[in-house]
Amino acid sequence: MSLSNLHAIGKLQSQPPDPASIAKLLQAARQNLADARVEPVSNGNRFDAAYKCILQCAMLGLWAHGWRTATSQPGHHQTALQTLDQTLGVPKADLIVLDALRRQRNVNDYEGDPIADASLHACLRAAEKLLRHTEMWLRQQHPEWRVV
Amino acid sequence: MGNAETTMDLLFPANRQQVLAALLLAPGRSLHLRELARLAGSHAGTLAREVDKLTQAGLLLRSVQGNQTRYSANVQHPLFPELAAMFRKTHGVVPLLRAALQPLAGQLVLAFVFGSMASGQASAYSDVDLLLVGQTDFVAVVQALYPLHEMLGREINPVIWSPQELAAKWQAGDAFARDVLAKPKLWIQGDAHELEQLARHWQAAIPAA
Repeated sequence: MSLSNLHAIGKLQSQPPDPASIAKLLQAARQNLADARVEPVSNGNRFDAAYKCILQCAMLGLWAHGWRTATSQPGHHQTALQTLDQTLGVPKADLIVLDALRRQRNVNDYEGDPIADASLHACLRAAEKLLRHTEMWLRQQHPEWRVV
Repeated sequence: MGNAETTMDLLFPANRQQVLAALLLAPGRSLHLRELARLAGSHAGTLAREVDKLTQAGLLLRSVQGNQTRYSANVQHPLFPELAAMFRKTHGVVPLLRAALQPLAGQLVLAFVFGSMASGQASAYSDVDLLLVGQTDFVAVVQALYPLHEMLGREINPVIWSPQELAAKWQAGDAFARDVLAKPKLWIQGDAHELEQLARHWQAAIPAA
Protein backbone atom coordinates (compact mmCIF):
# COMPACT_ATOMS: atom_id res chain seq x y z
CA MET A 1 0.00 0.00 0.00
CA SER A 2 1.29 3.48 -0.81
CA LEU A 3 2.47 5.75 2.01
CA SER A 4 -0.33 8.24 1.37
CA ASN A 5 -2.93 5.45 1.52
CA LEU A 6 -1.45 4.23 4.80
CA HIS A 7 -1.77 7.81 6.03
CA ALA A 8 -5.39 7.92 4.86
CA ILE A 9 -6.30 4.85 6.92
CA GLY A 10 -4.52 6.18 10.01
CA LYS A 11 -1.52 3.81 9.96
CA LEU A 12 0.95 6.64 9.34
CA GLN A 13 1.17 10.19 10.65
CA SER A 14 3.11 12.99 9.03
CA GLN A 15 6.10 14.46 10.85
CA PRO A 16 8.72 16.74 9.27
CA PRO A 17 12.16 15.06 9.21
CA ASP A 18 14.36 16.15 12.11
CA PRO A 19 18.08 15.36 11.68
CA ALA A 20 18.72 15.32 15.46
CA SER A 21 15.96 12.71 16.02
CA ILE A 22 17.21 10.69 13.06
CA ALA A 23 20.77 10.71 14.45
CA LYS A 24 19.45 9.52 17.82
CA LEU A 25 17.43 6.65 16.30
CA LEU A 26 20.36 5.60 14.10
CA GLN A 27 22.58 5.46 17.18
CA ALA A 28 20.00 3.27 18.95
CA ALA A 29 19.84 0.93 15.94
CA ARG A 30 23.65 0.56 15.95
CA GLN A 31 23.65 -0.12 19.70
CA ASN A 32 20.98 -2.79 19.31
CA LEU A 33 22.97 -4.57 16.62
CA ALA A 34 26.08 -4.42 18.83
CA ASP A 35 24.08 -5.88 21.74
CA ALA A 36 22.70 -8.63 19.49
CA ARG A 37 26.28 -9.82 18.89
CA VAL A 38 26.96 -10.45 22.60
CA GLU A 39 27.24 -14.23 22.66
CA PRO A 40 26.66 -15.10 26.33
CA VAL A 41 23.14 -13.62 26.04
CA SER A 42 20.28 -16.02 25.18
CA ASN A 43 19.14 -16.47 21.59
CA GLY A 44 15.79 -14.86 22.45
CA ASN A 45 17.29 -11.59 23.70
CA ARG A 46 19.94 -11.43 20.98
CA PHE A 47 17.19 -11.94 18.42
CA ASP A 48 15.09 -9.24 20.06
CA ALA A 49 17.96 -6.74 19.88
CA ALA A 50 18.65 -7.53 16.22
CA TYR A 51 14.94 -7.28 15.44
CA LYS A 52 14.82 -3.87 17.19
CA CYS A 53 17.65 -2.72 14.93
CA ILE A 54 15.61 -3.82 11.88
CA LEU A 55 12.47 -2.08 13.11
CA GLN A 56 14.43 1.11 13.86
CA CYS A 57 15.88 1.09 10.33
CA ALA A 58 12.32 0.81 8.99
CA MET A 59 11.30 3.76 11.15
CA LEU A 60 14.34 5.72 9.96
CA GLY A 61 13.12 5.20 6.39
CA LEU A 62 9.71 6.58 7.29
CA TRP A 63 11.12 9.49 9.33
CA ALA A 64 13.42 10.48 6.48
CA HIS A 65 10.35 10.78 4.22
CA GLY A 66 8.36 12.81 6.74
CA TRP A 67 6.23 10.02 8.21
CA ARG A 68 6.00 8.05 11.42
CA THR A 69 3.96 4.97 12.37
CA ALA A 70 0.93 5.51 14.56
CA THR A 71 2.11 3.27 17.43
CA SER A 72 -1.41 3.23 18.86
CA GLN A 73 -2.52 1.26 15.78
CA PRO A 74 -2.39 -2.55 15.81
CA GLY A 75 0.22 -3.94 13.45
CA HIS A 76 2.52 -0.92 13.47
CA HIS A 77 5.59 -3.17 13.24
CA GLN A 78 4.17 -4.80 10.13
CA THR A 79 3.32 -1.38 8.69
CA ALA A 80 6.84 -0.07 9.24
CA LEU A 81 8.47 -3.16 7.70
CA GLN A 82 6.21 -3.29 4.65
CA THR A 83 7.08 0.30 3.70
CA LEU A 84 10.82 -0.40 3.41
CA ASP A 85 10.61 -0.97 -0.35
CA GLN A 86 9.11 2.50 -0.79
CA THR A 87 11.24 4.38 1.75
CA LEU A 88 14.70 2.85 1.38
CA GLY A 89 14.29 0.82 -1.82
CA VAL A 90 14.68 -2.56 -0.08
CA PRO A 91 13.92 -5.45 -2.52
CA LYS A 92 10.61 -7.28 -2.00
CA ALA A 93 12.43 -10.60 -1.49
CA ASP A 94 14.09 -9.07 1.59
CA LEU A 95 10.76 -7.79 2.92
CA ILE A 96 9.45 -11.37 2.93
CA VAL A 97 12.32 -12.38 5.19
CA LEU A 98 11.91 -9.37 7.49
CA ASP A 99 8.20 -10.13 7.89
CA ALA A 100 8.97 -13.77 8.73
CA LEU A 101 11.40 -12.52 11.41
CA ARG A 102 8.62 -10.33 12.82
CA ARG A 103 6.41 -13.42 13.24
CA GLN A 104 9.27 -15.34 14.89
CA ARG A 105 9.60 -12.51 17.37
CA ASN A 106 5.86 -12.65 18.11
CA VAL A 107 5.83 -16.36 18.94
CA ASN A 108 8.96 -15.90 21.04
CA ASP A 109 7.65 -12.88 22.95
CA TYR A 110 4.05 -13.96 23.41
CA GLU A 111 4.20 -17.76 23.52
CA GLY A 112 7.70 -18.44 24.80
CA ASP A 113 8.80 -20.52 21.81
CA PRO A 114 12.61 -20.42 21.86
CA ILE A 115 14.57 -18.82 19.03
CA ALA A 116 16.47 -21.43 17.01
CA ASP A 117 20.09 -20.78 16.02
CA ALA A 118 19.04 -20.56 12.35
CA SER A 119 16.48 -17.82 13.15
CA LEU A 120 18.98 -15.85 15.26
CA HIS A 121 21.64 -15.95 12.54
CA ALA A 122 19.12 -14.95 9.87
CA CYS A 123 18.01 -12.02 12.04
CA LEU A 124 21.60 -10.90 12.70
CA ARG A 125 22.48 -11.04 9.01
CA ALA A 126 19.28 -9.20 8.06
CA ALA A 127 19.94 -6.48 10.69
CA GLU A 128 23.56 -6.02 9.55
CA LYS A 129 22.53 -5.77 5.92
CA LEU A 130 19.63 -3.38 6.56
CA LEU A 131 21.62 -1.12 8.88
CA ARG A 132 24.45 -0.88 6.33
CA HIS A 133 21.90 -0.14 3.62
CA THR A 134 20.16 2.50 5.76
CA GLU A 135 23.44 4.29 6.53
CA MET A 136 24.39 4.30 2.86
CA TRP A 137 20.97 5.60 1.86
CA LEU A 138 21.11 8.43 4.41
CA ARG A 139 24.65 9.35 3.31
CA GLN A 140 23.66 9.45 -0.36
CA GLN A 141 20.19 10.97 -0.13
CA HIS A 142 20.64 13.41 2.75
CA PRO A 143 24.31 14.37 3.18
CA GLU A 144 23.07 17.76 4.49
CA TRP A 145 21.73 16.10 7.66
CA ARG A 146 25.25 14.90 8.58
CA VAL A 147 23.86 11.95 10.55
CA VAL A 148 26.22 9.34 9.11
CA MET B 1 6.65 -44.37 5.83
CA GLY B 2 5.16 -45.28 2.46
CA ASN B 3 3.12 -42.81 0.54
CA ALA B 4 0.00 -41.90 2.47
CA GLU B 5 -1.55 -40.11 -0.51
CA THR B 6 -1.35 -43.29 -2.64
CA THR B 7 -2.97 -45.26 0.17
CA MET B 8 -5.84 -42.77 0.26
CA ASP B 9 -6.24 -43.21 -3.51
CA LEU B 10 -6.57 -46.94 -2.92
CA LEU B 11 -9.15 -46.49 -0.16
CA PHE B 12 -11.29 -43.69 -1.60
CA PRO B 13 -12.26 -42.71 -5.15
CA ALA B 14 -10.91 -39.29 -6.14
CA ASN B 15 -14.26 -37.45 -5.97
CA ARG B 16 -15.03 -38.85 -2.54
CA GLN B 17 -11.63 -37.71 -1.28
CA GLN B 18 -12.20 -34.19 -2.58
CA VAL B 19 -15.63 -33.91 -0.94
CA LEU B 20 -14.44 -35.30 2.38
CA ALA B 21 -11.30 -33.14 2.39
CA ALA B 22 -13.30 -29.98 1.67
CA LEU B 23 -15.78 -30.63 4.47
CA LEU B 24 -13.92 -32.62 7.13
CA LEU B 25 -10.95 -30.24 7.18
CA ALA B 26 -13.26 -27.28 7.84
CA PRO B 27 -15.86 -28.54 10.31
CA GLY B 28 -18.49 -25.89 10.77
CA ARG B 29 -18.31 -24.86 7.12
CA SER B 30 -21.36 -25.66 5.01
CA LEU B 31 -21.23 -25.61 1.22
CA HIS B 32 -23.73 -26.07 -1.54
CA LEU B 33 -23.06 -28.49 -4.34
CA ARG B 34 -21.71 -25.93 -6.79
CA GLU B 35 -19.22 -24.52 -4.27
CA LEU B 36 -18.15 -28.05 -3.42
CA ALA B 37 -17.70 -28.87 -7.11
CA ARG B 38 -15.56 -25.77 -7.60
CA LEU B 39 -13.31 -26.65 -4.65
CA ALA B 40 -13.05 -30.25 -5.83
CA GLY B 41 -12.39 -29.24 -9.43
CA SER B 42 -15.38 -31.35 -10.48
CA HIS B 43 -19.00 -30.95 -11.66
CA ALA B 44 -22.04 -30.63 -9.44
CA GLY B 45 -23.75 -33.47 -11.33
CA THR B 46 -20.83 -35.81 -10.73
CA LEU B 47 -20.62 -34.99 -7.03
CA ALA B 48 -24.36 -35.22 -6.32
CA ARG B 49 -24.35 -39.03 -6.00
CA GLU B 50 -21.20 -38.96 -3.89
CA VAL B 51 -22.65 -36.40 -1.51
CA ASP B 52 -25.91 -38.38 -1.26
CA LYS B 53 -24.11 -41.55 -0.28
CA LEU B 54 -21.98 -39.76 2.30
CA THR B 55 -25.08 -38.09 3.75
CA GLN B 56 -26.90 -41.43 3.96
CA ALA B 57 -23.91 -42.90 5.77
CA GLY B 58 -24.18 -40.07 8.28
CA LEU B 59 -20.73 -38.60 7.51
CA LEU B 60 -22.27 -35.40 6.12
CA LEU B 61 -25.21 -33.32 7.28
CA ARG B 62 -27.67 -31.82 4.82
CA SER B 63 -29.45 -28.56 5.61
CA VAL B 64 -31.92 -26.67 3.46
CA GLN B 65 -31.81 -22.87 3.48
CA GLY B 66 -34.44 -21.35 1.20
CA ASN B 67 -33.95 -23.07 -2.13
CA GLN B 68 -30.37 -24.05 -1.36
CA THR B 69 -29.21 -27.38 -0.01
CA ARG B 70 -25.97 -27.18 1.93
CA TYR B 71 -23.67 -29.89 3.22
CA SER B 72 -21.32 -29.96 6.19
CA ALA B 73 -19.25 -32.49 8.13
CA ASN B 74 -21.08 -34.39 10.84
CA VAL B 75 -18.64 -33.97 13.71
CA GLN B 76 -20.80 -36.30 15.86
CA HIS B 77 -20.18 -39.27 13.58
CA PRO B 78 -18.22 -41.94 15.50
CA LEU B 79 -15.55 -42.05 12.77
CA PHE B 80 -15.24 -38.26 12.33
CA PRO B 81 -12.08 -37.71 14.43
CA GLU B 82 -10.14 -40.55 12.81
CA LEU B 83 -11.34 -39.81 9.30
CA ALA B 84 -10.56 -36.09 9.63
CA ALA B 85 -7.08 -36.98 10.90
CA MET B 86 -6.47 -39.12 7.79
CA PHE B 87 -7.37 -36.18 5.57
CA ARG B 88 -5.24 -33.75 7.59
CA LYS B 89 -2.26 -36.02 6.87
CA THR B 90 -2.90 -36.32 3.13
CA HIS B 91 -4.79 -33.22 1.98
CA GLY B 92 -4.63 -29.54 2.79
CA VAL B 93 -1.34 -28.21 4.08
CA VAL B 94 0.75 -31.38 3.94
CA PRO B 95 1.04 -31.94 0.16
CA LEU B 96 1.42 -28.19 -0.41
CA LEU B 97 4.24 -27.92 2.12
CA ARG B 98 5.92 -31.04 0.74
CA ALA B 99 5.88 -29.59 -2.76
CA ALA B 100 7.11 -26.17 -1.62
CA LEU B 101 9.97 -27.71 0.38
CA GLN B 102 10.94 -30.16 -2.39
CA PRO B 103 13.89 -28.02 -3.60
CA LEU B 104 15.31 -28.12 -0.03
CA ALA B 105 14.50 -31.79 0.66
CA GLY B 106 18.17 -32.80 0.40
CA GLN B 107 19.07 -30.43 3.23
CA LEU B 108 16.32 -31.66 5.54
CA VAL B 109 16.29 -34.73 7.74
CA LEU B 110 12.82 -34.19 9.20
CA ALA B 111 9.91 -31.87 8.49
CA PHE B 112 6.55 -31.79 10.23
CA VAL B 113 3.66 -29.52 11.17
CA PHE B 114 2.95 -29.17 14.89
CA GLY B 115 0.60 -27.04 16.97
CA SER B 116 -3.08 -26.45 16.32
CA MET B 117 -3.01 -27.40 12.62
CA ALA B 118 -1.64 -30.84 13.54
CA SER B 119 -3.97 -31.46 16.45
CA GLY B 120 -7.12 -30.44 14.59
CA GLN B 121 -7.66 -27.46 16.93
CA ALA B 122 -6.89 -24.79 14.34
CA SER B 123 -9.20 -21.81 13.88
CA ALA B 124 -9.52 -19.86 10.64
CA TYR B 125 -6.76 -17.55 11.94
CA SER B 126 -4.29 -20.14 13.17
CA ASP B 127 -0.78 -20.06 11.74
CA VAL B 128 0.89 -23.17 10.39
CA ASP B 129 3.71 -24.13 12.80
CA LEU B 130 6.41 -25.98 10.93
CA LEU B 131 9.48 -27.67 12.37
CA LEU B 132 12.38 -28.47 10.07
CA VAL B 133 15.43 -30.42 11.20
CA GLY B 134 18.45 -30.24 8.97
CA GLN B 135 21.18 -27.97 7.66
CA THR B 136 19.22 -25.37 5.78
CA ASP B 137 19.02 -21.63 5.62
CA PHE B 138 16.17 -19.65 7.19
CA VAL B 139 16.04 -17.24 4.25
CA ALA B 140 15.77 -20.07 1.70
CA VAL B 141 12.98 -21.69 3.70
CA VAL B 142 11.02 -18.47 4.13
CA GLN B 143 11.24 -17.70 0.42
CA ALA B 144 10.20 -21.25 -0.54
CA LEU B 145 7.16 -21.07 1.74
CA TYR B 146 6.06 -17.55 0.90
CA PRO B 147 3.77 -18.44 -2.06
CA LEU B 148 1.75 -20.72 0.24
CA HIS B 149 0.62 -17.87 2.52
CA GLU B 150 -1.87 -16.71 -0.05
CA MET B 151 -2.90 -20.21 -1.18
CA LEU B 152 -3.62 -21.31 2.38
CA GLY B 153 -4.86 -18.00 3.74
CA ARG B 154 -2.55 -18.65 6.69
CA GLU B 155 0.89 -17.57 7.73
CA ILE B 156 3.56 -20.23 8.06
CA ASN B 157 6.02 -20.01 10.89
CA PRO B 158 9.09 -22.21 10.38
CA VAL B 159 11.40 -23.32 13.18
CA ILE B 160 14.69 -24.69 11.87
CA TRP B 161 16.91 -26.84 14.07
CA SER B 162 20.13 -28.58 13.21
CA PRO B 163 20.16 -32.25 14.33
CA GLN B 164 22.62 -31.26 17.08
CA GLU B 165 20.27 -28.52 18.29
CA LEU B 166 17.35 -30.97 18.42
CA ALA B 167 19.35 -33.50 20.43
CA ALA B 168 20.79 -30.83 22.75
CA LYS B 169 17.33 -29.41 23.48
CA TRP B 170 15.82 -32.83 24.05
CA GLN B 171 18.63 -33.95 26.32
CA ALA B 172 18.52 -30.68 28.31
CA GLY B 173 14.79 -31.15 28.88
CA ASP B 174 13.86 -28.01 26.92
CA ALA B 175 10.16 -27.33 27.57
CA PHE B 176 9.34 -26.38 23.99
CA ALA B 177 11.09 -29.43 22.50
CA ARG B 178 9.36 -31.80 24.95
CA ASP B 179 6.00 -30.22 24.17
CA VAL B 180 6.43 -30.40 20.39
CA LEU B 181 7.79 -33.95 20.45
CA ALA B 182 4.92 -35.19 22.64
CA LYS B 183 2.06 -33.64 20.65
CA PRO B 184 0.41 -34.57 17.32
CA LYS B 185 2.35 -33.99 14.10
CA LEU B 186 1.64 -34.03 10.41
CA TRP B 187 4.67 -35.57 8.75
CA ILE B 188 6.09 -34.01 5.61
CA GLN B 189 9.46 -35.71 5.66
CA GLY B 190 10.75 -38.43 7.98
CA ASP B 191 8.74 -40.13 10.71
CA ALA B 192 8.32 -40.41 14.48
CA HIS B 193 10.92 -43.17 14.77
CA GLU B 194 13.60 -41.09 13.04
CA LEU B 195 12.73 -38.14 15.26
CA GLU B 196 13.18 -40.19 18.39
CA GLN B 197 16.46 -41.64 17.13
CA LEU B 198 17.78 -38.16 16.41
CA ALA B 199 16.60 -36.66 19.68
CA ARG B 200 18.00 -39.43 21.88
CA HIS B 201 21.02 -40.71 20.09
CA TRP B 202 22.58 -37.92 18.07
CA GLN B 203 25.65 -37.58 20.28
CA ALA B 204 26.16 -41.35 20.50
CA ALA B 205 25.73 -41.84 16.74
CA ILE B 206 27.91 -39.00 15.55
CA PRO B 207 30.93 -37.82 17.53
CA ALA B 208 31.09 -34.05 18.06
CA ALA B 209 32.21 -32.42 14.82
